[in-house]
Amino acid sequence: MLNILLAGVGGQGTVLAAKVLAQAAQDKGWHVRTAETIGMAQRGGNVTSHVRMGNKGEQVNSPLIARGTADMVIAFEPAEAAAALKYLAPHGVVVTATTGVQPVTAALSKQPYVAAGVVEQMQRLLGDRLVLVDDADLVKQVGTIKVLNTILLASAVKTSQLPLNFDELRAAIKACVKPRFEELNFGAVALVEG
Amino acid sequence: MKKFLMGNEAFAHAALEAGVNVVAGYPGTPSSEVVETVAKLHAAGVAEGVHVEWSTNEKAALELLAGASYAGARTLYTCKQMGLNVASDPLMCVNYVGIKGGMVLYVADDPGPISSQTEQDTRRFAAFAKVPVLDPATPEQGFAMMKEAFELSERYGTPVIVRPTTRICHASAFFDVAERTVARPVPEEGFVRDSKWVIFPARALAAHHDINKRLPEIGAEYSVGDRATAFNPVMRGGDRQAPDAVLGIVAGGVSTAYAREALEMVEARAAELGVSVPAYKFMQVGTPHPFPQDLAVSFAEGLTDILVLEELDGVLEDELLRLAGLRHLAYNVHGRVTGEVRAAGENDVDDIAARLACYLGIPQCGPVEPAVVYDAADAPLPVRPPVLCAGCPHRGSFYAVKRALGKTPAILCGDIGCYTLGNAKPLDAVDTCLCMGAGITMAQGFSVVDPGKKALAFVGDSTFFASGMTGVANAVYNQHDITIVVLDNATTAMTGAQPHPGTGQTLMGPKSEPISIAATLATLGVKCIETANPLNLEESIVAAQRAIDFEGPSALIFVEPCIQLKKPKPAAQIDTQTCTGCKKCINEIGCPGIGFNVFAEGPKSGKRGQAFVDAGLCNGCGLCTQVCPSGVITLPAKEAANA
Repeated sequence: MLNILLAGVGGQGTVLAAKVLAQAAQDKGWHVRTAETIGMAQRGGNVTSHVRMGNKGEQVNSPLIARGTADMVIAFEPAEAAAALKYLAPHGVVVTATTGVQPVTAALSKQPYVAAGVVEQMQRLLGDRLVLVDDADLVKQVGTIKVLNTILLASAVKTSQLPLNFDELRAAIKACVKPRFEELNFGAVALVEG
Repeated sequence: MKKFLMGNEAFAHAALEAGVNVVAGYPGTPSSEVVETVAKLHAAGVAEGVHVEWSTNEKAALELLAGASYAGARTLYTCKQMGLNVASDPLMCVNYVGIKGGMVLYVADDPGPISSQTEQDTRRFAAFAKVPVLDPATPEQGFAMMKEAFELSERYGTPVIVRPTTRICHASAFFDVAERTVARPVPEEGFVRDSKWVIFPARALAAHHDINKRLPEIGAEYSVGDRATAFNPVMRGGDRQAPDAVLGIVAGGVSTAYAREALEMVEARAAELGVSVPAYKFMQVGTPHPFPQDLAVSFAEGLTDILVLEELDGVLEDELLRLAGLRHLAYNVHGRVTGEVRAAGENDVDDIAARLACYLGIPQCGPVEPAVVYDAADAPLPVRPPVLCAGCPHRGSFYAVKRALGKTPAILCGDIGCYTLGNAKPLDAVDTCLCMGAGITMAQGFSVVDPGKKALAFVGDSTFFASGMTGVANAVYNQHDITIVVLDNATTAMTGAQPHPGTGQTLMGPKSEPISIAATLATLGVKCIETANPLNLEESIVAAQRAIDFEGPSALIFVEPCIQLKKPKPAAQIDTQTCTGCKKCINEIGCPGIGFNVFAEGPKSGKRGQAFVDAGLCNGCGLCTQVCPSGVITLPAKEAANA
């Protein structure tokens, strides 16, 4: 069983990223299940997508990942990565964007949320099991924040911790996005692949 | 054709494959995607012969379907659990009258609750209404149950409820679905007159006898053969060398999937530790009402104990306790009755694994504590409560009303929709929220007993049509001094932007004449009706003032489309040379599009910090430009925006 948790904030594109991973699993002939928190949470709340693949030929039961069993957490925002650590398996890897998204509550309060502090603690806790993605720079190079999800998926593939390669990722993206966005997303993959 | 589908999308496909003719419902999380999917497939031309609509409310939808079913059409109704309360009147009666074309009610429950006011259990409602209910453990089983429900409905002439929960509705998997579907033809004769379609006391008595007769028959049907294997499966686990199992586990809904997973975890852990797992029997009850009694009796044979895992109410637990009494069975029931399971909220694999390990007498095989624990005291994590979107027109509406009220004591009644989020600080503009349409009528109660405070009711456009209009009639009839504030954003925003009678947009394609909210209010006899654009602060405050000052029922309509329907405009700009860091833009309207940088310094702000615009979120609504006391927030000039 391969468990991947996607954590972000409403509107960041976690749901499409989950779909791409599900497609990649299906292409490999694995049983796959995903689950989303949607609804009220979309209005600026945190959004998590659970992706579960039966990569050893097994059937997936629960749509949700149990605590301490995620092989990988892909976070679109550092605080969401930290909040998802309870799902991480002892061998699990965290791939996270480094740019923080400030909620309104932080602007209203006297104590702002400092993303760098969150990243520092995660580095202490995880060591080389934490992979930081310079999302701001990569998004700037591609030219639109719409590809943040693809940048993170490509970064996850680059860790070699997933049984997926770049060609399989590209094939899954091709099956999931509208043809006119294909080139844009492939550009993002190529940028990360280097 | 293999397609990656969310549970709700798959269930729509299943209904279409079952030949459904008419689909109607009212939006509500987590049920809305069923109707939306049918509409999409119809629009794509691959769902032939189906009629699909968003009805004005749940009661309207179910009554419409009753008519269609009497004429022989297969019908599908959809709503969330609370929606069945609204449609309970027709449901209770249609079960007595009976149906001709199969009638399936898709009612999605919401343990948690994640986006609802209650944790009511539709399995309980089904038992109260004396209607069969199917409860899937996985999206795949739900797909099979949708088709089965139509057959069952027609076999017995009964409406049938399919009740998934959020984690089934919103879980996705690959499904084999038909590329095209054709609705089953309605019998040529159509509706055939018969005295049975008219409910009278004598007829109701006879019908009640029929219902009492058929329910045990249905329970027996799902106790044996393929139907039992598909919907009430039994399996054995644990030590295979051990004599017959004495421990039983019964699960319902998604808790079945959690329990299967948890049992795998516990058994794997036991293998690691070299501990043996006692033999056990496991049963899913996918047809909770009528309860498959015969199957449960054979399952319980030899068992000393049964642990029951389910969400919301202890429905299966009560059935097993009842069965023990009926058949003098000697098992102990573990669950809510013994405090061994969660009595409210969602279940999860971890919790169930811990409880199963204890129940099986091997507590050391429960889940292991997470290896890494984040210390939020060291670097605090932000909380992200849901808030009104950047540029949401409701923000201006609430702010204008609060400004117009000033220090006037008031009670602000909210309602169901995105605008419930007007309760958050800094707007802090919702004092009550009960159920669909209740704000308008609750305000009248306040005005009667607490006349020193001005009673206002905020209601969305879709909610206004769904259940607000009768409340307005009551206010006019009984002359209550309230102000009804209609937040008309031209859609049902919270559930994903569905159309409603005020938009004229239908799911079948052709547009109907939109029903005017102002004209409706006028027809109902409201004498003072003000209209304003909530993104124009001054205009809105003046209009609010006039409506509030009017004696008797008055109305104020704020008209501006939801941001989901509009093209975003260029983001606002803050002049760092003149921003004083007063934070008024943040403390007054709390838009997610404006943040505050405590480290920013400028000539006017010194070391106070400065506000900044998040250009990724801001869509240029301009409300903040009217709030800033120094005029430092501006929208880009038209020429610059076009360049």
